[in-house]
Amino acid sequence: MASKRIQKELQDLQRDPPTSCSAGPVGEDLFHWQATIMGPSDSPYSGGVFFVMIHFPPDYPFKPPKVNFQTRVYHPNINSNGSICLDILKEQWSPALTISKVLLSICSLLTDPNPDDPLVPEIAHIYKNQRSRYEETARAWTQKYAMG
Amino acid sequence: MQPPVAEPVVGEAVDDGGVGSSGLAEAEFDKAGWGSCGDDAIMQQEASIMASEAERVPLVGFKEPLSSLEAEYESGSPILLNKIKMLGEKYANIRRTRGDGNCFFRSFMFSYLEHVLETQDEVEINRISGNIEQCKKTLQSLGYADFTFEDFFSLFMELLDNVPRGKETSISLEELESRCRDPLVSDYVVMFFRFITAGEIRNRAEFFEPFLFDMGSVDQFCKSSVEPMGAESDHIHITAISDALGVPVRVEYLDRSSCDMGPQCANHHDFIPSVCQPSNDTVNPFITLLYRPGHYDILYPK
Repeated sequence: MASKRIQKELQDLQRDPPTSCSAGPVGEDLFHWQATIMGPSDSPYSGGVFFVMIHFPPDYPFKPPKVNFQTRVYHPNINSNGSICLDILKEQWSPALTISKVLLSICSLLTDPNPDDPLVPEIAHIYKNQRSRYEETARAWTQKYAMG
Repeated sequence: MQPPVAEPVVGEAVDDGGVGSSGLAEAEFDKAGWGSCGDDAIMQQEASIMASEAERVPLVGFKEPLSSLEAEYESGSPILLNKIKMLGEKYANIRRTRGDGNCFFRSFMFSYLEHVLETQDEVEINRISGNIEQCKKTLQSLGYADFTFEDFFSLFMELLDNVPRGKETSISLEELESRCRDPLVSDYVVMFFRFITAGEIRNRAEFFEPFLFDMGSVDQFCKSSVEPMGAESDHIHITAISDALGVPVRVEYLDRSSCDMGPQCANHHDFIPSVCQPSNDTVNPFITLLYRPGHYDILYPK
């Protein structure tokens, strides 16, 4: 059932691709995808291209996909391992969601960090108290890591 | 644009053009893998708690005499013991479901299918099929992509189609029990009901919004409390599914609350679909559930 659903997600993405992201299988393995996310223009990640790994569990869509950044990002909810702290990838995952919606939520998270549920408390602290310093560093990291 | 490094080579000095510690971070990532996020650890722990619960209670249990309920409360409060005694006057059996947050939908599923299997009520099967078709249109009009819900719908329709006797695919009560215990069937049906419930709540947002209090908007409520597997159900879910499918549900409450009318007062609530309400006939729900704080099981009248 999982591969049937993943196949449908792929068709849907090809038919109606979201404007700021793309995604698809890395090789022959349908359960292992890579996605690219364009840094939102109204964020310090603007101009960057971020690579994201997607692993579908065997019981997808009952269990959430595992999504990790491969490109380094300076963000309160994304750590140096590329782990993302996002409710819909954890307890709020539902089979009603899709990879397309997950990628759009990640775009929203880039624009609007959630410093009250941080994965990197230091960055959350700077985001809350020294916004311009956060923006500066995020822009510098984007330039360094996300612009090839 | 640089291609991403798919397989970081641990320990190799890589000139990454001033990228600094990223080589190290990737090596750590490779080593720590998915388990490195604190939330993942919590999810794994929750999964193991659920697995140990699973060993004790099947998704849908066996029909047991109501006395098995009494045995659980031997040294319970007098209010509870009295309520159990009163339940004993009306009900003969109980069928337990697993307490995994899906117990309401699981109880509803088995109770409904068992009823149509026993009554062989083709009129009811046709009626609910019409409602399900309508629910599908509702989801489409709300913007749900077909591929997100169609597998769940077709699995339920298949199960419903196997209920009438005399076909090659017809199933017995034992077969229904075993399918409802098989996660590959049972979880799909639970998710089917979650789609139906979310569709109804979103479609009648103005009606449901006042009941949400501090639980946020209708959209937030559906995203956090209806659509995820394991999200527990309450009055709002029961009202929505009962209305959407046109299936009345009775819930008997077994909790410590006492009421002003004394210990003899009825302690149940009937969820009657709005389409049934204008008629003067008394609607008798054929699904009866037992509610204990945080959990639903199935009850069988005498």
